[in-house]
Amino acid sequence: MSARRRHFAETARTAFVAILVLCRFVSPAAAEDEAPAAWESPRMDWGVPDLQGTWTTATITGLQRMDDVDELVLTPEQARRIEQGSADFMASIDQVPEGDLAAGENVGGYNTFWMDPGSRLARVNGEIRSSLLIEPEDGKLPYSLRGWGRLLKTWWNLDNVDNPETRLLGERCIVGFGSTGGPPMLPVLYNNHYQIVQSPGFVMILVEMNHDVRMIRIGAERLPAAIQPWLGDSIGHWEGDTLVVETTQFNPGQSFRGSLRHAVYISPDATVIERFTRKSEREILYEFSVDDPRSYSSIWRAEVPMLATNSQIYEYACHEGNYSMLGILAGAREEERNPR
Amino acid sequence: MRIAPRRVAALLAGTLLFTLAGTAEAESSSQEAETYVAPRGPGGKPDLNGTWQAFNRANYNLEHHPAQAAMAMRKGPVVPVPAKEVVALGAVGAVPAGIGVVVGDEIPYLAKARKQRDENRENWLSRDPEIKCYLPGIPRATYMPFPFQILHNKDALFFAYEFAGAVRNIHLTDPGPAPIDSWMGQSVGSWDGDTLVIETTGQNDQTWLDRAGNFHSEMLHVTERFTPTSPHTLSYEATLEDEKVFEKPWSIRMTLYRLVGNDARLQQFNCIEFVEELIYGHLRKKPLD
Repeated sequence: MSARRRHFAETARTAFVAILVLCRFVSPAAAEDEAPAAWESPRMDWGVPDLQGTWTTATITGLQRMDDVDELVLTPEQARRIEQGSADFMASIDQVPEGDLAAGENVGGYNTFWMDPGSRLARVNGEIRSSLLIEPEDGKLPYSLRGWGRLLKTWWNLDNVDNPETRLLGERCIVGFGSTGGPPMLPVLYNNHYQIVQSPGFVMILVEMNHDVRMIRIGAERLPAAIQPWLGDSIGHWEGDTLVVETTQFNPGQSFRGSLRHAVYISPDATVIERFTRKSEREILYEFSVDDPRSYSSIWRAEVPMLATNSQIYEYACHEGNYSMLGILAGAREEERNPR
Repeated sequence: MRIAPRRVAALLAGTLLFTLAGTAEAESSSQEAETYVAPRGPGGKPDLNGTWQAFNRANYNLEHHPAQAAMAMRKGPVVPVPAKEVVALGAVGAVPAGIGVVVGDEIPYLAKARKQRDENRENWLSRDPEIKCYLPGIPRATYMPFPFQILHNKDALFFAYEFAGAVRNIHLTDPGPAPIDSWMGQSVGSWDGDTLVIETTGQNDQTWLDRAGNFHSEMLHVTERFTPTSPHTLSYEATLEDEKVFEKPWSIRMTLYRLVGNDARLQQFNCIEFVEELIYGHLRKKPLD
């Protein structure tokens, strides 16, 4: 989780294949443990629940349901197989063929030193989950026809290297990729850490990737409509022990959020409602719903465990060392001058 | 012309009185600041929660400087004129005069380092990391012309800066030496009475101290002292030690102000997208004119 600059274009293909392979380990399921007993959340001096700490959402459970699985909940046996399969796959990535590659061959992307996707499936209320999505029931994003259209249009343009602005936000270092900063904040290939610090009237979430700060204003008024920040405008309130955060007014440039395992398209006027509930000393249950009628035929909901970590968040300085953008654009210009 | 001795005496007495009055006023305001006791906040210490900003010219140049037409200048037929890259900005690109914030007026550079500073100044447009939207480092983050928010409670202390979305978590227990150099360094906080003391190390050598080319190496050790002097002001002092660049430790001092009112909050200034044309424009498929 150190300050690593990476861009996932090359690795995407490898890991995408990996995910497909992983999904084959699986078959139908049932629940594992009993739900844990209720736990009383600690409080800040001014009375609100204490969510402070450094948390990670790294998990090998994807946003969407694994291909060969119908049920949300996996059996312990299934879970063992999937987790072992994931570990084996990660180990295999580092086995590179001996000798030099032939000229023009793909040299591949990162080895596992650069990855930190977690090694475990998500456990929520004692259940081992086959997807973070809990609604719709099939665990698939409910894209509408129009939504698919938008997504395909973005995909179609992914190879556009004419200008810096046509590259993905992650490559440009503007925000982290795959909706890691959200909202909703989704687990990605690495740097899945979040630090929460509170002060009266504020809950600050530091998103590890690109050191993005979500300064959630409690009970405040929305920003004027003319201002549409990256990561949207987040207003919070407390419902008992739960922090509820409602976000909209997203920057229009942030609609497409792609990662290896998911591609979500969230319109600027979508409403994302997040709920953070401390379940124990070591866990926050992070629930969210996405209401975006422009892209989806129904509201979708997910549950993600945020687990406490004793690790520190180091600086993720992306832009300062962004040689990739120069390389991508310069490479494209070179190819135009001397087509292969 | 002869001046009556009585008149001279009166004049002298008047001057003396005026001087005394002035001194008394200065002393009383400084005593007020020194004797100000902030209300107790987290952990029995002053409450630093809020949005703060320096309103001074330190980011142009930490040292005394007159107003001038631009940061980037070139030779003109009569006097220096703004460099062609900035001439279109007119008065907007001009530099306001600044009373320096360096204690002792001048930064005690080693001779070679001073030369480097002067070269930096000559090449401001291509070298100042602020222009490229790089993280500003410490102490420059404090006196950028943007606010920063302190989140402070008994278990945590965190600074979020508007410029470039810079952040620093202030460790309240020393985690040991920074594992790797970074742009914002590693900060450890402690209290000296009502003064918050932050020691920052582990910064790389890429950040500057202002637009005037003042710089440091990766050896920089910054000790900052934040002392409440009224409900709305903090006295800020930063001492810089860096044996590769400076002859001896030196300090800057300034006032930080609490923002009040509806706009007393951080906005987002994610300037990376604003510098893409500058950094990547020449690599467009069709570069602009």
